[in-house]
Amino acid sequence: MSNAVTFDTRTDTAIPVESPLAFSYRQSGAPRAGSSSRVQLRERAMLGHLILRGGAIVLDEAVRDVLGISLPGKPQALVQDTSGERSIQWLSPDEWLVIVPGGEEFPLETQLRERLGNSHYAISDVSGGQTALEITGEAARELLMKAVIYDVHPSNFPVGKGVTTVFAKATTILRRPSEERWELVVRRSFADYCYRWLLDAAAEYSVNVEQ
Amino acid sequence: MSQSQQQVFRLKAGGRIDRSRTLSFTFNGQHYQGHPGDTLASALLANGVDIVNRSFKYSRPRGIVAAGAEEPNAIVQLGRAEAAQVPNVRATQQALFDGLAACSTNGWPNVQRDLMGLVGKLGGRFMPPGFYYKTFMAPASMWLTYEKYIRKAAGLGRSPMEADPDSYDHLHQHCDVLVIGAGAAGLSAALAAARGGARVMVADEQEEMGGSLLGSRETLDGTSADQWVARVLEELAGCENVTLLPRTTANGYHDHNFVTLHERRTEHLGETAPVVNGRRPVRSRMHRVRAGQVILATGAHERPLVYAGNDAPGNLLASAVSTYIRRYGVVPGRQLVLSTSNDDGYRAALDWKEAGCEVVAVVDARDAPAGDWVDAARAQGIKIITGSAVIEAKGSNRVTAARVAKIDIEAFKVSSPVQELACDTIASSGGYSPVIHLASHTGARPTWRDDILGFVPGLVKGVHACGGANGTYALGDVLAEGVEAGIKAAAATGHAAPTVNPPSVERLQQGPAVALFQVPHEKPSLRGPKQFVDLQNDVTAAGIELATREGFESIEHIKRYTAMGFGTDQGKLGNINGMAIAARCLNRSIPEVGTTVFRPNYTPVTFGAIVGRHCRDLFDPERYTALHQWHVERGAEFEDVGQWKRPWYYPQKVNGKTETMHEAVARECLAVREKVGILDASTLGKIDIQGPDAREFLARIYTNKWEKLAVGKCRYGLMCKDDGMVTDDGVTSCLAENHFLMTTTTGGAAAILEWLELWHQTEWPELDVYFSSVTDHWATMTITGPESRKLLAEMTDIDLDRDSFKFMEWRAGKVAGVPARVYRISFTGELTFEINVQANYAMHVWQTLFKHGEKYGLTPYGTETMHVLRAEKGFIIVGQETDGSVTPEDLGMQWCVGYDKPFSWIGKRALTRSDTKRENRKQLVGLRPKDPTVVLEEGAQIVFDPKHAIPMPMAGHVTSSYYSPILDSGFALAVVKGGLKKMGETVYLPMADGQVHEAEIVSTIFYDPKGERQNV
Repeated sequence: MSNAVTFDTRTDTAIPVESPLAFSYRQSGAPRAGSSSRVQLRERAMLGHLILRGGAIVLDEAVRDVLGISLPGKPQALVQDTSGERSIQWLSPDEWLVIVPGGEEFPLETQLRERLGNSHYAISDVSGGQTALEITGEAARELLMKAVIYDVHPSNFPVGKGVTTVFAKATTILRRPSEERWELVVRRSFADYCYRWLLDAAAEYSVNVEQ
Repeated sequence: MSQSQQQVFRLKAGGRIDRSRTLSFTFNGQHYQGHPGDTLASALLANGVDIVNRSFKYSRPRGIVAAGAEEPNAIVQLGRAEAAQVPNVRATQQALFDGLAACSTNGWPNVQRDLMGLVGKLGGRFMPPGFYYKTFMAPASMWLTYEKYIRKAAGLGRSPMEADPDSYDHLHQHCDVLVIGAGAAGLSAALAAARGGARVMVADEQEEMGGSLLGSRETLDGTSADQWVARVLEELAGCENVTLLPRTTANGYHDHNFVTLHERRTEHLGETAPVVNGRRPVRSRMHRVRAGQVILATGAHERPLVYAGNDAPGNLLASAVSTYIRRYGVVPGRQLVLSTSNDDGYRAALDWKEAGCEVVAVVDARDAPAGDWVDAARAQGIKIITGSAVIEAKGSNRVTAARVAKIDIEAFKVSSPVQELACDTIASSGGYSPVIHLASHTGARPTWRDDILGFVPGLVKGVHACGGANGTYALGDVLAEGVEAGIKAAAATGHAAPTVNPPSVERLQQGPAVALFQVPHEKPSLRGPKQFVDLQNDVTAAGIELATREGFESIEHIKRYTAMGFGTDQGKLGNINGMAIAARCLNRSIPEVGTTVFRPNYTPVTFGAIVGRHCRDLFDPERYTALHQWHVERGAEFEDVGQWKRPWYYPQKVNGKTETMHEAVARECLAVREKVGILDASTLGKIDIQGPDAREFLARIYTNKWEKLAVGKCRYGLMCKDDGMVTDDGVTSCLAENHFLMTTTTGGAAAILEWLELWHQTEWPELDVYFSSVTDHWATMTITGPESRKLLAEMTDIDLDRDSFKFMEWRAGKVAGVPARVYRISFTGELTFEINVQANYAMHVWQTLFKHGEKYGLTPYGTETMHVLRAEKGFIIVGQETDGSVTPEDLGMQWCVGYDKPFSWIGKRALTRSDTKRENRKQLVGLRPKDPTVVLEEGAQIVFDPKHAIPMPMAGHVTSSYYSPILDSGFALAVVKGGLKKMGETVYLPMADGQVHEAEIVSTIFYDPKGERQNV
């Protein structure tokens, strides 16, 4: 153990939770456009988010053992398991974002810490601090072009890529888990701003929000 | 009146307009008609509207001069509805739509009968450059008054007074090759680059792509030029890798091939965007383009000749005459005199003649013109007067005659008697000026070329100028240069050079042009009739000459003295002529005089397009905590802290009246001191620090000691920059031997994380430690006050006994059934528990606290109450008590400095400097106003001797000041020179209204000085 303390912030009782967008749905609504919609938004709420920091080689061995997928060593790479439910994204030379189904993050952190032993690394649970917003539909890319300064052309942004970039005036993580799907990972406190921005910019595409 | 009678200058056939449809519009309240395909300018000319404006300074009648972006006169105010007003629109660039309403921007009461013109006429001779500076200099205090009337008299339109109903946005674009301009050069370049597989964007400012080819006399591959354009556009439109943007102006060229393109999406359809499917589409859009390579195919502007009276309506550019005839089917007059220095000008005469109107004469400055078009004119029987020029246009509301004479360019004089030719139109051509504005935006100095008598763009990395923009005018050469630029640009972005053969064109024989800018007059410039250089800014040749005589030698100074090339014009028509005149007067060459710098924007851009979606609710991010909705519903007033919205105070309704801020804060303060209050403290920055060297790192980054902080304990830390000045503070808790949680100020969170990374990565990479922001992960609820323990005890499994959970300790457990870390730290001086839970559970925990809290009088409080309570305790706020010039010692916080720590910490060395050790530094003290009802003004200056003559020596200022409900008096924190040694002394605060407050210097701790309340 690296002599850090772990803390399971979740509880198994039936205590109500509120995702970062809960406020936004109540305040700004969630437009339903049906079949005419050219862009769809969906919050992938309550997932487990961990930040891994450490040396790539040490962490790679551990995540292979525990999670069954390799640590992306290449900058701006995103690796997923076959179900697409679990992913690891390169954030910086010694920093990765792991996203797993909600509730898996604490056992995962515990297992990783056991596996990593006395190596020097850090794992921080940020599950309450950010949320994933999925964007799909034929107008998804143009919508992103309105807000994101990074080049989202398929030649520059293939499936399996993820970057930290600017969304309007906020910082965001943008990733492309599959051909049709884009994902924004936004900080909780900026989520409402990003959501309102998306609704406004996507209005011309008849945006459809799945709650 | 039938339509044909109305549009008396409209040709029966020809042009790219749709005569089967008629559009109605108004100009200065008069009703007119035009056709789809018209610009406002071509429609005005078709209707015989001569005067479109009054000039800026002299209020002279002005007509349409050009057919494009370079138009200096026909600048109109567009819009019928108040909310749709657009100033600064060039009539030559505004597509006609049904119902368009425009008016002149100058002229009172109207352009036809203008009273200001009288001033211009009477005063014209007495309004030399610098007139306003010279005349309205004294007294200086009156300038604002003068300016109000000057601005009213001269202006270029007005902004709307109502909110804009339209929306605007930005699109971030990336491409390999950006082609600016879709004329012969641009289209060839785009085609070559596209066939090479590059990602190509083509932007063109006009309604239709094709540039000069749309009105050209020449053929390409045996077909008419416009057919070739149609073919190329069809191919480009079919390419997946090509984006075509018509009606899109490259308005600014910024560093690193970042170009902003202003796309006008609905301006050709109506004054506001027409509603489609119940929604208004975006009116205009700014494309923010990062281009690998940029091809400047912006063409050239024809240069007018500078002769007397050249500003009266009926004086046009020769190329504009051709464009109006060939593209819009409008002949802008009946009898033409053409004054030219080159062969190209002859096209206007040929087109005029073909349109069935009279060409009175071509006046050619050259002694022996020869070339295909000269021959064509001769063959048509057009009279050519050689070695001569139009030296003066007669007429004021419209040209009535041209005064023509032989000229000696070298000697700059008229060398023959003058003959007067009756005419209503004078077209002039002094050659071309490449449109180098965009290249100039990058800072590249243009290069003068004697062979083309013009400036070409300076070299910029990744930029290819071709065609007219590069001083290449022969169509065959333009096409070939475009192809070459396209191939080169594609290759530079890794796309194989394709084979593209430029279309074949007939090579014209052309004679050399002569360098003619200002035409000599019988009288010297300073005494003769006005010869205009810059029509938009009313700058004359005499004005430039006067400027040089008054000692202005740099072209940049001449520009500012005369206003040449100012404003929205940016010297499109006038600058080269102006430089040539300055060169002649200074006896220098044009390249020696050089050019001024053209600046963005190329043509005016509506503010909406610059702002895009970043307006109203989306102007700036608003960061919310997980409890935001509760605060909103509770009626909180919010305070901006960085980008966060924090509850400021919660006004209640008492007997039907809403509390004032003062009342609410007093109530909240007493609730905390007497019962229990609750604060949403989620915005505090939180940084998770892990690693075996975490403790050592903290010791280096903070001023105080960390080696003995045990697991389960918390400690206040003070952080300095390397200059020894306080930059942040907060409580850091030891979670495990190698694991700490640092809190930072709300506003400092992001910067402090970067600060930690900076020192770790650059100075101490050998320390094994990592940092991650967990600010948003945790929601923090602070319950504080004597009843807080009882309240928390009802809903937690944590042992809250004062001896087992001491002040400055933390415990983990459950609160309201949710896993929580609870910190016993205090910013109010009262017994306090800070409850941290994962943010998704925050609302539940907060509401549960209120369920249990009612019986204890649980009161939500905001940042204002927090400020009062902490100030009563003398706790600083970084950024309020400090301003980047305050050391820990200035704050009297030596207790928080580990002078003897083994490793040097940030700021230590700076604290030993003589200046930081100086006796008389401003030091933090408390101030007790002698009159307890006085609340001193924050920022108020402090003096020791209020009777001292002004200027009084300043001794310090008030940093925080409030009314304290628990003390029932005003109190303040302040920095005072040598204040720590002046306890009990009196200081004075002279106010702007003449009052002088007195206050006593006291300890910063106003309440519970022994700190007993937080330790219960």
